[in-house]
Amino acid sequence: MATTNNMTLNLKIWRQKDKTSEGKLVDYRVENVSPDMSFLEMIDVLNDQLVRKGEDTIAFDHDCREGICGMCSMMINGKAHGGFKNTTTCQVHMRLYKDGDTVVIEPFRAKAFPIVKDLTVDRSAIDKVMAAGGFITANTGNAPDANAMLIPKPVADEAMDAAACIGCGACVASCPNGSGMLFMGAKVSQLALLPQGQPESPKRALNMVYTHDTVGFGNCTTHAECEATCPKGISIEHIARMNREYLKAAFTYHEKNRSEGAG
Amino acid sequence: MMTAAVNHYFRSSIGRKHLVAITGLLLCGFLVGHLSGNLLLLVGPDAFNIYAHKLFSLGPVLYLIEAGLALVFLVHLYLAARLNIENRQARGQYTLKTRTGRGTTLMSASMPYTGAVLLIFIILHLLNLKFGTNYQTQVDGVQMRDIYRTTVEFFQSPVNVAWYVFAMACAGFHTAHGFSSAFQSLGLNFPKYYPKIKIISYLYAVTIAGGFAFLSIWCYLKGV
Amino acid sequence: MSFNLDPKIPAGPLSEKWDKHKFEMKRVNPANKRKFTVIVVGTGLAGGSAAATLAELGYNVLSFCIQDTPRRAHSIAAQGGINGAKNYPNDGDSVRNLFYDTIKGGDYRSREANVYRLAQVSNNIIDQMVSQGVPFAREYGGYLDNRSFGGAQVSRTFYARGQTGQQLLLGAYSGMMKMVAKGKIKQFTRREMMDLVVVNGKARGIIVKNLITGELERYAADAVLLCTGGYGNVFYLSTNAQHSNVTAAWRCYKRGAGFANPCFTQIHPTCIPVHGDYQSKLTLMSESLRNDGRVWVPKKQGDTRKPAEIPEEERDYYLERIYPSFGNLAPRDVSSRQAKFRCDEGLGVGPTKQAVYLDFRDAIKRDGKEVIAARYGNLFEMYERITADNPYNTPMMIYPAVHYTMGGLWVDYNLQSTVPGLHVLGEANFSDHGANRLGASALMQGLADGYFVAPYTISNYLASTPLEKVTVDDNAFKDAEQAVKLQTAKLLGIKGSRTATDFHRALGHYMWDYVGMSRSEKGLKTALDGIRKLKEEFWSDLKLNGDTSNYNLELHRATRVADFIELGELMALDALERRESCGGHFREEYQTADNEAKRDDENFTHAAVWEYTGANSSPVRHKEELVFENVKLATRSYK
Repeated sequence: MATTNNMTLNLKIWRQKDKTSEGKLVDYRVENVSPDMSFLEMIDVLNDQLVRKGEDTIAFDHDCREGICGMCSMMINGKAHGGFKNTTTCQVHMRLYKDGDTVVIEPFRAKAFPIVKDLTVDRSAIDKVMAAGGFITANTGNAPDANAMLIPKPVADEAMDAAACIGCGACVASCPNGSGMLFMGAKVSQLALLPQGQPESPKRALNMVYTHDTVGFGNCTTHAECEATCPKGISIEHIARMNREYLKAAFTYHEKNRSEGAG
Repeated sequence: MMTAAVNHYFRSSIGRKHLVAITGLLLCGFLVGHLSGNLLLLVGPDAFNIYAHKLFSLGPVLYLIEAGLALVFLVHLYLAARLNIENRQARGQYTLKTRTGRGTTLMSASMPYTGAVLLIFIILHLLNLKFGTNYQTQVDGVQMRDIYRTTVEFFQSPVNVAWYVFAMACAGFHTAHGFSSAFQSLGLNFPKYYPKIKIISYLYAVTIAGGFAFLSIWCYLKGV
Repeated sequence: MSFNLDPKIPAGPLSEKWDKHKFEMKRVNPANKRKFTVIVVGTGLAGGSAAATLAELGYNVLSFCIQDTPRRAHSIAAQGGINGAKNYPNDGDSVRNLFYDTIKGGDYRSREANVYRLAQVSNNIIDQMVSQGVPFAREYGGYLDNRSFGGAQVSRTFYARGQTGQQLLLGAYSGMMKMVAKGKIKQFTRREMMDLVVVNGKARGIIVKNLITGELERYAADAVLLCTGGYGNVFYLSTNAQHSNVTAAWRCYKRGAGFANPCFTQIHPTCIPVHGDYQSKLTLMSESLRNDGRVWVPKKQGDTRKPAEIPEEERDYYLERIYPSFGNLAPRDVSSRQAKFRCDEGLGVGPTKQAVYLDFRDAIKRDGKEVIAARYGNLFEMYERITADNPYNTPMMIYPAVHYTMGGLWVDYNLQSTVPGLHVLGEANFSDHGANRLGASALMQGLADGYFVAPYTISNYLASTPLEKVTVDDNAFKDAEQAVKLQTAKLLGIKGSRTATDFHRALGHYMWDYVGMSRSEKGLKTALDGIRKLKEEFWSDLKLNGDTSNYNLELHRATRVADFIELGELMALDALERRESCGGHFREEYQTADNEAKRDDENFTHAAVWEYTGANSSPVRHKEELVFENVKLATRSYK
């Protein structure tokens, strides 16, 4: 809309050819940035210039561009998703910046998220933690009537607060310890709140935490950086609930090796 | 994987945090006792010396308590240090100088540093006072150590007072984050009363750190 | 060559067809299931639920997705809800009711038996999702809450805040992860399907590109499930995600799968308008806003006053004026068209004049700001974040945008395409929504196909088809891989001057202007000429750097755009040949006196199924006649 007050931005962007290469910050200048552009559209404009100049474009992850798929990432001026309240990078708009600003753009950095190229990182560690127990074993066809199990509204609402996690990994990237406690806690907490999740609750907590620790995430020291950064506003109360679940499970869970019985 | 996960507790991120939290809270409890005892300094030399003498006369029981305290302290120290080293590695490499936090507070960020100061402090504290000059005195005909004198004498040096005030500021920072954080780690963060725990945490930190710092300054002003 | 377009609808009364079919279908015994491998391409609601269910049954599943994790498929962006004929609110809903609404909403261009089955399994979906821990909205008593949606007179929509799609997808994803942990699903991420491998007339594998390394990989299986979603991005701007594309489906079309009704596109009336050339996507504002918002334009052309300064008598609340009984809640196709008509008349608002107002002033006056905030607060925030306008103080500006494609690969009642062994699920197929989809039905269809239909019909296929042993070293795989390599080399060898995005944008203009909300013979012919020329220019003037060895995003983009251009041509052709108006397909030549869509049931009660006949010959249009035995064809009226 506004064509009159276009801006010029100085960007410092992390360029790294692939997983093993050395990376560095490279300076770029983007002119004619409209305040109505989204942050990613601004990078589209830069990439367009790079293609025309015969250069390799800047690789960054993105997909839905409406703040729900969790694919976009980036540390913008040192903050995951740019540091705006409840906002993913794709929903950051250029009107939040001023003409002439210098903006530093880096990939999400954590040992568990190795760099793939430029601003793209590999977040498959999140899937590994989810596969360790972030589910309810309800095979298709087993389900009782949906209203057979009553769930009080406040409980359903709290479970929904936790379930809102988009798996973007901003909590990990912003954590001084590279810890995955918030996204994991959100899932453990969601399923611990719901009656459907109870039968597997101890196993879930034990297995997920074990996997979390072995794929390279750090430990929680309650900085609450994750809570401040989370684009979905997920509270560290869910980490506490997981800690509780884990404590309970570690001291009570016992599984005997039994044969399944032939019949 | 399941067996490994069950046996993982004492090596796990959360299990070790539980231990750090529990040992931390025990140390917090110890500090309350220590400060209440030390307040007897204000009552006078005899009161303080009798209190100390009663503790000393516990004999083997005292050694047991001291050993337990030392163990709690060492577990706390060791695990916190281990976690800190792991966390530095898990962070990945940041090249960015402008990285600024939003949730992290000065208190939470300085935990390893204030912890290190406290470690040095405790060693010196034991050397200077517990194992400091052994004066003797008699109260009501009973021979006992004049720990009061050792203490007040020690604080005649402004350098010592300044060091203690500084160390206690560190202790305040450390416990202000540590106290409430311990509840979070143990899973006791309930929205209903967690804000109150945070307030208690700050009150605790101010009281303990302020109390000890006040006593060192008081000793300095009181003179021998 | 001719297609076998037998829909294979089971005989018998409508309500018993599916049960009867389930009984008659062949099954694979549990011990034998582990001998079969099934490829599932895509991990949205259809692909995710199918992969999880097939793995639970015991099949070996190879699952592929284009994103870095299966949890990001675009089903995640659905906001409103999912329909189910539970009749929990006791408002008289039933399977038959949901069936009827969906058939009517689709303007009588979908297959009765499929739609009825969809309505039947809708209830199982709700049960299944609840048991997986989806936190649907609840009432204080703990029971599930329902709300109403466009095109229905009952409350049958289950929802999880404004994130229903996300919660359902995460449910399906968690089911997948459970089977990944058990080793029954092998998950391949950042892979794009480049070709279908057909051996002895049956789909037996796929060629995929590893997007990071650029390498081509071959995978063989006993059946292939295509769950790759819709092709709305052919318009360049749409509400689809950036990676949503037609390539997988298009390559299947070229390998012999019929493409049905490609021109059936849903244009959603309430999206944030286009604001600049740099724009990469359009954002949807939930249909639910029209419950309280009033749509209007100024009566005077070129009125540049601020909306608040335009007095009541100078505003045209055109939906309320034209459709007094449905008002602002007229269906999507109708509302979109009316917005376009107003803008064409020069009454559009905003800097581009391609927008209409959606005004909450009266609702706020009536119910108070707090009530409105409780209903739509998150949407208002999102709107403000994008436009910097506050909808509490000034009306939203909205305009229609491409949202969903009802067309897709043709499938029979078993969801099998014209290539045996290639089954197509979810938005990628054409089957259930006819010429217009009702709100909250897309999620329902994806999950129905994946959870409750395909697992049965795949077993039937595997049990009743002789499948010779095939490995990735077979010639068919080598040839398919070679073809992809050649195409890639050709793209990289052009060394022209226009970028893939330039071409995509140009294609988008043709599509939106001539194959969009309103179509005419003249316009469609213009589009056909233009797109054909664009195709030539693309293959002679594309600018592309780098090679295949690195994570070459421009190459990936160009490959998709090449297929979009060909699809665009087919869509225009399909729209040209369908000489009637129905649902989202509006031909200016076929309208009533008051500008409503005029169907031609005598000549067009069929699905048009296109057959690929080679790069240098025109595709052939086949028909599957649609037989209506249970509903009477009637004119949709919303006045």
